[in-house]
Amino acid sequence: MSFETPSSNGNTKPERKYYDRTKSDDLQISRTDMNMLIMNYLVTEGFKEAALKFQQEAGLQEPALCSSLDERIMIREAVQSGRIPEAISLVNALHPELLDNDRYLYFHLQQLQLLELIRAGRAEEALAFASATLAEAGANDRNALTELERSLALLAFPDPHTSPFADLLLPSHSQKIASELNAAILKMENQEYTNPKLCSLLRMILWSQSELDKHNVKYPKMTDLANATIEQPK
Amino acid sequence: MDVRGVESSSQTRGAQGPGRRPHLPYLHLRLWMYRHGKTHKDAASVRATHPIPAACGLYYFEVRIVSKGRDGYMGIGLSAHGVNMNRLPGWDKHSYGYHGDDGHSFCSSGTGQPYGPTFTTGDVIGCGVNLVDNTCFYTKNGHHLGIAFRGLPPNLYPTVGLQTPGEVVDANFGQQPFVFDIEDMLRELRARTRLAIDDFPLPTEQGQWQQVLHRMVSSYLVHHGYCSTAQAFSRATGQTIDEDIASIKNRQRISKLVLSGRIGEAVELSRRLYPGLLERDPELVFLLKCRQFVEMVNGTDALCDDPDQAGTGEGIVGEGAAGEGDGAAGGNDLTTSVISHTSRAPANGEHAHTNGVVLPEADRHDVDMPAANGTHDESEVCSRASVERMLAFGRELYAMSQKLTQDQYHKTMLEDAFSLLAYSNPWDSPVGWQLEPVRREAVCEALNSAILEWRGMQWVSPVEACVSHSRDLLRRMARASLGACAFADLPALLRR
Repeated sequence: MSFETPSSNGNTKPERKYYDRTKSDDLQISRTDMNMLIMNYLVTEGFKEAALKFQQEAGLQEPALCSSLDERIMIREAVQSGRIPEAISLVNALHPELLDNDRYLYFHLQQLQLLELIRAGRAEEALAFASATLAEAGANDRNALTELERSLALLAFPDPHTSPFADLLLPSHSQKIASELNAAILKMENQEYTNPKLCSLLRMILWSQSELDKHNVKYPKMTDLANATIEQPK
Repeated sequence: MDVRGVESSSQTRGAQGPGRRPHLPYLHLRLWMYRHGKTHKDAASVRATHPIPAACGLYYFEVRIVSKGRDGYMGIGLSAHGVNMNRLPGWDKHSYGYHGDDGHSFCSSGTGQPYGPTFTTGDVIGCGVNLVDNTCFYTKNGHHLGIAFRGLPPNLYPTVGLQTPGEVVDANFGQQPFVFDIEDMLRELRARTRLAIDDFPLPTEQGQWQQVLHRMVSSYLVHHGYCSTAQAFSRATGQTIDEDIASIKNRQRISKLVLSGRIGEAVELSRRLYPGLLERDPELVFLLKCRQFVEMVNGTDALCDDPDQAGTGEGIVGEGAAGEGDGAAGGNDLTTSVISHTSRAPANGEHAHTNGVVLPEADRHDVDMPAANGTHDESEVCSRASVERMLAFGRELYAMSQKLTQDQYHKTMLEDAFSLLAYSNPWDSPVGWQLEPVRREAVCEALNSAILEWRGMQWVSPVEACVSHSRDLLRRMARASLGACAFADLPALLRR
């Protein structure tokens, strides 16, 4: 399954129909439900400005913004813009025990800090930082060790951005860590569902498809979620 | 209703899944053995008329032993189509049973396995089929006895067999509350399925997952013209917006008009912004006009294309049109409902429901007008004129429908719309559902999709495509007899 490749051959475009929603179908999903699905994403992921704009534009009820939303936004911004020490101290101020208990998450944050040093071309500092703070995590956890090796391998290339490990320097990597951290905070605050509903929806598609695959049932398969590309069975 | 004499082994009654009601709410199923059975060859079974539907996920029925009769040789279980009904369930191939005299379970065999306690007069025995893993379990007086059979074939029928005289049982297919707490089991199965979904491993490109989600949110916002939200989201995530802002805003304006019931203006604006769009799509025009007719009954739309009307608003809520200023506003003044003077169901609430659109104050007035209008002295005169206009519009609509390919869908839509005229209070009529603002959404979506397609863009947003694909997948699972689909609750997921 690929997310990037745009729709390729073998895809039949379904014909546009006018009456999908007019049928009195008790599974009918109203615009309001769809809007709430999106709002849920904006709120759980801490996109406050977008959430408030959306509330105005779509005429929704005041979103139930969590108490920690402002902090979570600041933390997300700090992580995504590479200010890791600041992010760590914000997290510690909000939930002092969170990073103590979740060492792997803490490792990910420190790894981001290492990547920032590498990005800035400060190789010696990066090595010193790695041996001083990250080596311990690497020794205790195989996954962490692999990730640490991948990060340090960037130093071997004159231009890390063209190396095979360049994905670590992309914004998508820090966004992923930011979301992990956000979910951990929400979990800490006993939010029942830390995953946005949108996430569950996509997982339900993947799950259904795998169940159908298991039983050798032929069906139109969604091969690209982001563009909702559906391939007809051969 | 008593089913007497099981000797006619073909005598059967319909069964229903847990939680559902049988066709006859008073249905009471009693099996009464009165013939003299001497050997096991004299046994007789009764089978339900329909096999267990796999899509129900969990199937359950209970049997109360009213009397154990002479020897209490009773079997409760399942059998496939074509199994000999002159035998207790479990003895033959594709037949499964739990027998009262020895408490053994019989899995397509004359020799049973020790399974549970014996059962006799006064006991309630339940038989459950888990269609997720194809196992069968029994309960006795509300206690789960554990799994009796595994690897069950599909399409089994609930079956009860009796052998000796005087044996009487009552079957309960859900028409009465069960002794066993089946709801608890359903809850557990639902929770387990939800966990399986929520923990489903993401595809390998996990780093891209976040991007996929952001992309979907962004495309949804753009698709429906939530322009400033899309911009704010784009600032926060770096998602690029593929359409220029002015174009999104135009679509947003049209959508707002449709969603507030001002179809005439929406059509006008679409004609101006996208010349050629409506001309090439008569079905879309018909859909819009049909909705416009409904909105005329509702009192939210005026005949914009009638030049006589501009400025003849008879002084009723003159400020109504002031806000929009897009040229087509003149028709606004005449948002006169013919039926406005009749009594409306007070609890209708459709005005409070703004359908996800924030209307400017002036617009609110428009939508509220029928009520205000009703008190107006001239409403009688006014309404006669608008009835005539509406009828003329209806004739035009009918003529238009004749030119379209005759299909049942268009015909029904037109009939439903015209039926509104038959009622003095259409809001409270059997066809009143058409007047609900939520019905505008489909029209809005149709027009928006047409514009997007016309401009060479994706006409359905990926998020919505995912919702309908997910629904389709669940239907296919049901058709392929995968019981797990019963516990993957899409509407619940969207609302929780």
